[in-house]
Parts: sequence; C-alpha cells; structure tokens
Amino acid sequence: MRPKLAAGLGLAGLIVLFGLIGPLLTGDPATIRDIGLTPPSGEHLLGTTLTGQDVLAQLASATRGSLWIGALVAVMATVLSGIFGIVGAYAGGAVDEVFSLFSNVMLVIPGLPLVIVITAFVPPDERGTWNIALVLAITGWAASARVLRAQTLSLRNRDYVAAARVSGEKTWRVIGVEILPNLLPVLASQFVFTVVLAILSEAGLSFLGLGAANSSTLGTMFYYAQNGFALQREAWWWFVPPGMVIALFGGALALINFGIDEIINPRLRDRPRRKRDVVAVEAEIAPVEPDAVLTVRNLNVVYQSSPPVHAVKNVSLTLRRGEILGLAGESGCGKTTLAYAINRLHRPPAEVTSGSVTFDDVDVLALEPEELREFRWVRLSMVFQGAMNSLNPVTPIRAQLQDALRTHRPSMSAPDRELRCAEMLRLVGVDPARLGAYPHELSGGMRQRVMIAMALLLDPQVMIMDEPTTALDVLVQREILNEIKRLRDELQFAVVFITHDLPLLLELSDRIAVMRDGEVVEYATAEDVYLRPEHPYTRQLLASFPSLTGDRGALIR
Amino acid sequence: MTTLAVRGLTKTYHRIRAVDDVSFTLTAGRTVALVGESGSGKSTIARMIAHLVRPTAGEIVLTGPDGEPVPRRAYRDHVQMIFQDPFASLNPFHTVEHHLARPLRLHGRSRDEVPHLLERVSLTPDFARRRPHELSGGQRQRVAIARALAPGAKVIIADEPVSMLDVSIRMGVLKLLGRLQREEHLAVLYITHDLATARHFSDEVLVMHRGRIVERGASDDVLTRPQDPYTRRLAAATPDPASRFSRGGLS
Repeated sequence: MRPKLAAGLGLAGLIVLFGLIGPLLTGDPATIRDIGLTPPSGEHLLGTTLTGQDVLAQLASATRGSLWIGALVAVMATVLSGIFGIVGAYAGGAVDEVFSLFSNVMLVIPGLPLVIVITAFVPPDERGTWNIALVLAITGWAASARVLRAQTLSLRNRDYVAAARVSGEKTWRVIGVEILPNLLPVLASQFVFTVVLAILSEAGLSFLGLGAANSSTLGTMFYYAQNGFALQREAWWWFVPPGMVIALFGGALALINFGIDEIINPRLRDRPRRKRDVVAVEAEIAPVEPDAVLTVRNLNVVYQSSPPVHAVKNVSLTLRRGEILGLAGESGCGKTTLAYAINRLHRPPAEVTSGSVTFDDVDVLALEPEELREFRWVRLSMVFQGAMNSLNPVTPIRAQLQDALRTHRPSMSAPDRELRCAEMLRLVGVDPARLGAYPHELSGGMRQRVMIAMALLLDPQVMIMDEPTTALDVLVQREILNEIKRLRDELQFAVVFITHDLPLLLELSDRIAVMRDGEVVEYATAEDVYLRPEHPYTRQLLASFPSLTGDRGALIR
Repeated sequence: MTTLAVRGLTKTYHRIRAVDDVSFTLTAGRTVALVGESGSGKSTIARMIAHLVRPTAGEIVLTGPDGEPVPRRAYRDHVQMIFQDPFASLNPFHTVEHHLARPLRLHGRSRDEVPHLLERVSLTPDFARRRPHELSGGQRQRVAIARALAPGAKVIIADEPVSMLDVSIRMGVLKLLGRLQREEHLAVLYITHDLATARHFSDEVLVMHRGRIVERGASDDVLTRPQDPYTRRLAAATPDPASRFSRGGLS
C-alpha cells in the first residue's frame, strides 16, 4: 500500500477506534465531582473541567459525536452530489442545465452564514443531530457535485460506455455498472473531504451555541471550555485535546486523500531515487565517416526505474550531409528516447549510460549547459511528436517564431526578424500573411508546417522529425513529405525521420534503421531494406503493409 | 439472409452536413469498405448505424433472415460495432468475462459461451479472468471483436479496427476479422482511412469526401483505376515503395 494512504488510514483508524470504544472505558462524561478544575493526574489522565467532569471521558464521547455527524453529513452530501452531478451529466441536455444551474447557485451561497441562519430558525429543543446534519449536507454538497459532473462528462463519452449502449444495456446499468465504478476514487476523495468539512462546520456551530441540543461533540467541548474561561485560567487540558483530535483527524483524512489521488493519477506518486544498476561501459570512439554530420556510437539509454529499463541498446548510426535517415519502429521500441538522447533532451529517470554522440567535431554529451543551449536549434533542431499541438495557443505564431531568433540571434533587427519569419513560412508553403494568426486559426497541416518553419529558422544542419505526419491525413502528409524533399535539395540539411510507417520511409529515405526493443536490427539503404531485407522483423514489418498497387489477395484471403 | 440498407442518410450538426444523402446496402458474406480522411463523416455513419446517433434524415432498414424487417427493439441482436481504440472501448474496471457475459445475457444467451467466444477470436479461455490493463492492444481488440459477436450479430460495423494497433499486429487482427466474416457469413462495414487494406480486405469500396460518397464500385476497380479526381489524389498520396523500386533495382 502507498505510505501516505497507510499512515492516513492508521491514524484515522485509531481516532475512530477511540470514538467507538473510548466511551465504554472512560466512564460517564457527565458525572460531576466537587474537585473543580484539576490538571492531568493519575486518576484523571486529562484532568477535569470546572465542574469536575473527567476530560478524557468527555473527549471520548465528543469524538464519537463528531464522527457520527461527519459520517451522516458525508453520506447525505455524497448522495445529493451524486444525483445532481452524475445523473445530470449523463442525462445531458435540459436536465444537465437545470441540475448544474442549481448546483452553481448552491455553490455561491456562503455556507456558514446560511447554516447559522437556518439553525437559528430551528428552536433549540428541536435542533437534533439529524437536523444539524441535514442542514450541513444541504449546504455542503454542491462543490462535490461539480467535480463529479466534470468527471462523468468525460466518462460518458468513452468508447466503453458507447459499447455498453450498443450491446443493449439499460441507462441505469450503464451509469451504475460502467460509469460509477470508475468514479469510485473521486467519490471516495469527495466523501473524505466532506467528512472533515462537516466535523469542522459542526464544531464551529456548537462553539457558537447553535449545535444540536443535548449533543456532545468536539465543538460543545470548546463551547463549555470557552464559557468556563479555560484560556484565562490556563486550563490547557480542557481545550487542547479536542483541538488535537480535530487536527489529527483532518490530517489523517488529508493523507488518505493524497493516497487516493496517487491511485487515480500515478504521476503524483513519489518516485524513489534508485542507485544505478547498469554498469557504464566506455565505448571506444570509432573513426568518423568523412562526410558524416551526426555520428552516434554504441549509445545506451536506461530508464533508472525499478526495474531499470534498457530503452536504447548499443545503437550506432551515421547521418551524412544532406541525407534523410529513416528510423522505423513500433511504439515502445525506443525511437523517441533515442531522438531525445541525441538532442540531450532526455530527463531523469532516463540516463545515457554509455556511448557517444558526435556532431561534426562536437561531443554533444559533454557540452556544458550554456554550450548546449547554443548548440540546440542552431545546429540541430527537432520537430516533436504531435508537434502541431505544441504551439502556444495564446500567442500569435509570429511571436513564437521570433522567439527563437531573439534568443539565438540577439543582434538581429526587428524588421530583419520579420523578414526571416515571413521567408521561412513561404518556404514551407504557408502564406506569410498568416504570421498574425493564432494556432487555432490554422489547420493541422498548416500548424505542422509552421513547426517545420520554426525548426528551419536558424539554418540547422540536422533536423530530427519524430512522427511529424502521423496525426495528419494522407493528402496533407504527401504535401509535407514533398516539402521536406524539396527543402533538403535546396538547403542540403540532413533529416532523421522517425515513424512506424515503413512504406513512407521506403519512399522518402536514403537509408533506414529498423529498431526493435531498443536495438537497431537492420541498417541499410532503403532499396536494400525493401528488396533484400535481412532481419525477420524487417520482413514482418514489410508484410504488415499491403501494397495499394501490387497483387491483391495474397495477404488476407 | 440479413441485409442492412441505408437510404438517403443525412446528419446535420449546426447546419453543417457531416453526412449528406448516403445510401448503400450491406449483405451477408460481403465486406464493404468506407474510406475517407478524418472529418469526412465515416464515423458518424458508423454511429448512426449503431443507433448511437440519430440521423437528421434518411432511413436504416434491417431485414432479418426471414425476409421481414427487424423491429427496433431487436435491432441490437443483429447489428454490433467494433470501436477504433481498444484502450478506450473496454472498461478498465471490469474483467474480460464481464465484457462478454453481459452482451450474451442481454441477448438471451448463456454466459457459459464465454470460453467459446474467446476461442473464436483465438484467445485462450483463461483470458476471461483478466482485466483490460493486463492485455496488449491486439488482445484487447480481439476481446472487442468477441463482444460484437456475442449477441449473435450478423452485421458488424468495424470503425478503424486496426488503426490504433501496432503495425506488426494489424494484419493478424484483419485476418481474424476476414476469417470470422467467411465462417459466420457476416455483413461487414469496414471503415478506414487506409486505401491499401481497404483494397485487400473488401469486396466493394465507397469513397467519402465531405460527407458525400464520391465514388463506389468493386474494390480493385476503384482503388487501382480511380475515376473521381479526389480518389485519384488519395491513391497518389498513399506511400507506395513499389513505385520507387521495381524488383531488381532502382526504377
């Protein structure tokens, strides 16, 4: 179990146990003795109140009372928020509009003043625990309803909900069996939150003398301590213990909530740092090919997780000037990790354990941070996976293009910058008049072209493109591929093109490296890979793409 | 013989015609491919046939094996759908068993058929106990196919069934669909953006562009000798290494 959750559950469990069993062991909290206010002693572990009542006994029964209120309110508020949040969101349309309007109105009504007004209206002798709980539940469900609504809105559009409808499930079963279980973590955390809120609110009410009649809660303890001038008499044992119980219980439930959050969202988990298990091997620097611009030698990248994942194994590649190198592989084969490592963009827990990356005569892996900053983008630029969604949505593309120039060519004048950006857009086939446009005003293909323009802005010698066309339609993909070929011929830069689409690479690249499980299993010219594949995996990949023009039928039927 | 006829199907979203006057017929034992780019309206057609989205105009008529029109409440006994993303179409909370047993029971069949269903999609019966996160993409999609078969459906709408899978397992899943189609005499609507698999996997091809069918015919005719300018552009844009290398050397 996660440590936060375990600590929270342990602490909360102890307090609940104290509330359940404590009152049976500590005697009657109402017994009045004529000893008056006494500090803690052997006989009365937490001392006595002004009227000689045992504080420990009072604390036990007050804890029980507060927990009971907390649980009651949380159950009622969760049911209310479930009805208004989940049912409304699933039903959609007018029902959702009305339900969420109602929740929003409830949300903006200030809770505590409303509670005070409502409870003040109820005559003290009718102010039972249930009434108080009901009032607290009515004023406390709206925030949870909004959280549940948002979550349900996202769940109801999942394919498995559609699949359940297609298989003929009734609406209540879709909500109860398909959606509700996936809401459990959210429901649990909302429940826990409401328990704390209810205990605190009730304590506040009781302290003001507006709590349930004849009840005993942590709040009533404060009320009597206040009325008995406990603070002035320095009788700390009278008010510190109930305060501690509230604080500890709140802390415990907060820990439980963190634990639940970590279960819902694994990214929040604390990642323990591990010692590296993989021994670094010094790679001998092989002689660099004469016209090579980028040389990768025996590169190893390991994710130092437990267990360590060896994502890139002994990869050696050479990129010649003006060459298009295709890097083919399926998801998880390490091709993106390799691209990041070449650019030194990998982040812990990823670590280059051995090998070298040489760019012309620069040892990339040895660059100091400032040198690295000057090297990146100027000499080696990158078009990221899903690049068309990596433009900043709130600034026009002009500002985003000029940023790179401002950083790397600070001496450039503003009109020159504008000219350069316009020139680059023209180069990738986007009308320079669109410089003032925001990303959402451009189509996916145009955004991708803008990203390529950005990568070209500083005349890099090498461009790494990670799945640059995967999210695009085939017509747009064709235009961008033609653009890359044309730009390569005009500007003579070299390209590492990463994709799972082997036919595309066969058409585009000069040489192709096929990656599998972190290893390059085949590395040859495109023609050799197509006509004379050597590795069985390459043959399997080739067979996975039926040809549009070749013989029909052999593959499937 | 079960047939599903779509006539004049139209769907309008905010005055934009996502699907515009589309008609075609699915017959038992035949696969019809619906090809087009994203936004062309092909998924909307799938969702209308699966009764997830109500058409703005037009009709979907299902004729049962007895030649009589199938009433609306029995529609789902006959028409089922396979979704694109097997990582989204299985509920992470439930076991494989749940995913198959529910449709079986909803359509008056026994949950004892679960092992048999798994075998038909080339999975072993012990998969029933597992949860989706324990399965690979290909195994998930096989479970999704078994779920579509569970009600005994004879019309299967496969919406991009392999485009989210790793390339090396796509053929396996397509071959499985092809085998089931032949063995069970299913009528299949294969929706895809990939012209090459459409050609090899289907008898008839419908090419969609902006909500309309711009070209239709036998798959070999349409995809190797396209007549419509849009289909031609699509075919020309599809990467095809065969055009760069002829066997034996650079062309």
